[in-house]
Amino acid sequence: MAISRFIKWFKEFGWRHLVGLVFVTFAIYPILFVLTNSFADFPNLANSKLIPSGFTFEHYELLSGDPLVPYFTWLFNTYKVAFVAGIFNVFLGTLAAFAFSRLQFKGRRASLLTLVIVQMFPSFLAFVAIYLLFFQISDVVPIAGLGTHFGLILVYLGGSIGFNSWLIKGFMDTISPSLDEAAKVDGATEYQIFSRIIVPLSRPILVVIFVITFIGIYSDFILAAIFLKDVNLWTVAVGINTVFVDDFNADWGVIAASSVIAATPIAVLFIFFQKQITGGLTAGSVKG
Amino acid sequence: MKTSLILRYIFLAVFNAGVFYAIPLSIAFESWFLLVLIIINTILINVVYLTDRFKPMKWILPGMLFMISFVVFPAIYNSYVSFTNWSTGHILNKTQAIQVLEDRTYTPEDQKGVEFDIYIFQDQNLDFYFFADLDEDNLYFGKAVFDEDISEAIIATHEPSLKINGEIVAPEGFYQLSGKEQIANAETLQEMSLVINKNTRAKLYKISVFGSSTGRLSSTKQLYTYDESKDALIDGSNDAVCPSDGDNFVCQGKEIDPGWRIFVGLENYEKLFSSQRIRGPLNLVTKWTFQFALLTVFFSFFVGLLLSLVLNKEKLKFQRVYRSLFILPYAIPAFVSVLVWKGLLNPDFGVINSWLGPLYELLDIEPIKWLKTKESARAAVLLVNTWLGFPYMFLITTGALQSIPKELIEAAKVDGATGIQSFWRITFPLLMVSISPLLIGSFAFNFNNFTLIFLLSGGGPPVIGSEVAVGWTDILISFTYKLAISGGRGNLFGLASSVTIIVFGIVLLISALSFRYTKRLERIYGNI
Repeated sequence: MAISRFIKWFKEFGWRHLVGLVFVTFAIYPILFVLTNSFADFPNLANSKLIPSGFTFEHYELLSGDPLVPYFTWLFNTYKVAFVAGIFNVFLGTLAAFAFSRLQFKGRRASLLTLVIVQMFPSFLAFVAIYLLFFQISDVVPIAGLGTHFGLILVYLGGSIGFNSWLIKGFMDTISPSLDEAAKVDGATEYQIFSRIIVPLSRPILVVIFVITFIGIYSDFILAAIFLKDVNLWTVAVGINTVFVDDFNADWGVIAASSVIAATPIAVLFIFFQKQITGGLTAGSVKG
Repeated sequence: MKTSLILRYIFLAVFNAGVFYAIPLSIAFESWFLLVLIIINTILINVVYLTDRFKPMKWILPGMLFMISFVVFPAIYNSYVSFTNWSTGHILNKTQAIQVLEDRTYTPEDQKGVEFDIYIFQDQNLDFYFFADLDEDNLYFGKAVFDEDISEAIIATHEPSLKINGEIVAPEGFYQLSGKEQIANAETLQEMSLVINKNTRAKLYKISVFGSSTGRLSSTKQLYTYDESKDALIDGSNDAVCPSDGDNFVCQGKEIDPGWRIFVGLENYEKLFSSQRIRGPLNLVTKWTFQFALLTVFFSFFVGLLLSLVLNKEKLKFQRVYRSLFILPYAIPAFVSVLVWKGLLNPDFGVINSWLGPLYELLDIEPIKWLKTKESARAAVLLVNTWLGFPYMFLITTGALQSIPKELIEAAKVDGATGIQSFWRITFPLLMVSISPLLIGSFAFNFNNFTLIFLLSGGGPPVIGSEVAVGWTDILISFTYKLAISGGRGNLFGLASSVTIIVFGIVLLISALSFRYTKRLERIYGNI
């Protein structure tokens, strides 16, 4: 009796769980592996296993102690660059979106269409030209040249501002125009409508855009790699892959620890904003 | 006047001051493209913020300038670079190259020179100083340097105060070495010299234990002189004429480095399509780029769809748990997970090979050298990218499946369709309508998935026998990176840019296809 009920259950549900479990293993095994290994007390990759026999914080301590591997400096650099570029991106994107959403002017449609077309090409495609351009900027304006965070931030600003203005504009379009018309009747200026009505009401999308931009810049490798030469100015993505790959076997514990530190905040942020990031509006803007 | 207006004027004043500082500099460095960029920005900013004619532009311009400067402009600049020979050895423009060459010196064969008295001093830091007594009007004193430090050396000064009535007076804080002390330090001292002017140095020639030591002048001469009328360099050491071959001077059949940047027209493109050296690797890379992007989309879509079909079932427990676990690979920054996978795949120590160990033994085969052979590297790249990509596919297919009206499936059932029939005839076509733009997007993303390729395999393993740096898993963008930045054969910026132009073309094609296929452009246009 029990067996036939089990077979019935298995035919309807059980096999689905079996398939599900196989792929859950596939999905989370590497993640669990690196998480446990970052606390494990075995010395290298060769004798690593999923469940370590002893726990230690040694790898995390090693990360903060080595002056040749300024891991936390990289982490700080990454947060700094991604934060500043993210904030300005949202700020400038909001300004542009307001004009596209609320002001009538000649060439509005054409410029919006241009934005869409320009954004089809990822900005890093022309990295050779970006490299050479900033090579020359180094001569003329050294503080924004090759090898500086300032220059890198400029490039990141250009890279996603069109896309972001487009998304913010889409959201602003859903805010009823009767609100700003009422304000206009009361004598509000354009700037007051922007700062007192539109921006406060757009806050949800602005947060999402900031998070998406932040994650995108945090995860960027190619532009940071061609831009930053000085070890102390590297971002995590550049540093982790340049320093730790020399001796993979011996460095494994430290690689695991640095991976956990680099990934956790972003993963948490991502899961928190998962719906918005993967939702129809913004799909594929970070990765896909 | 309103505060905002004052602030605006202050900002404009500061900005324009910066421009007036930057323009002469970019002219001095002959950075013409940068100059154009600066001028465009300046004009736009001043016109928009000084007049009231373009009011909406006041809102749009700040963001737009960044897009123009760092996205649109580099794309144009990239096209320009693809028509030049810009590469290692041809980085400078002609004026700069001639300047570098004219700075080169040589030491003439006969070094008779004049002899004179030379005195050695030491300061508190024990650094050596020379005092060369050439004649009454040329009494040079200064720090002695080794040859490798010559370029930074301070030129000696004429110091008559050190010789009073024929007696040498050590300057304050310096100690004069005796003959014996000079002999003790002879090896070091004879390596050093006092820089008297750009081409002349004083060296210690003979040390005398009693009396003063003897110095000699050692002069260097300018090696190359540019002759504008002949457009050639004259080699001063043998009076040979070195004519220009367009982008280098050639002395007795040998190109002199550095050369300079010139416009070469379609030469880079010709190389891409006809030079065997480049065409072979380019073909290989292009083919693999398409295969890689297509297979990646196929595998991750297949796994994602399979899972959403299997798990999208009423009354199935733990659906939310599955969903939140499947999200994880998508949530982690790719540069981290790729690094972890590299560890798992390590052929000697990695966990994947230790798992497969029993299988290797059973089949009696050699363990797979993950990432070290062509096939294993390609398989690994696809495996990892499927891992990275299937959660996204799972999410979007689940969403799309749930939006398909159940009545349609039920109606088909009533009409006698089997489950498989209703899937292929109804569910799948409807699914594709909403998913296909996203699949095209995913294809375009993976077509340029530099992070994955570069960090996992580095494009490797290298193709043996290829004359340019290229590997079996290189995609177009990583191939470009190797040509331009890290190929070990210098920086071939011009050639790399022409490959980028091809990538631009392909991306344009994909986008056009996607717009056409999905009518997205019309929809966008309708919405604005």
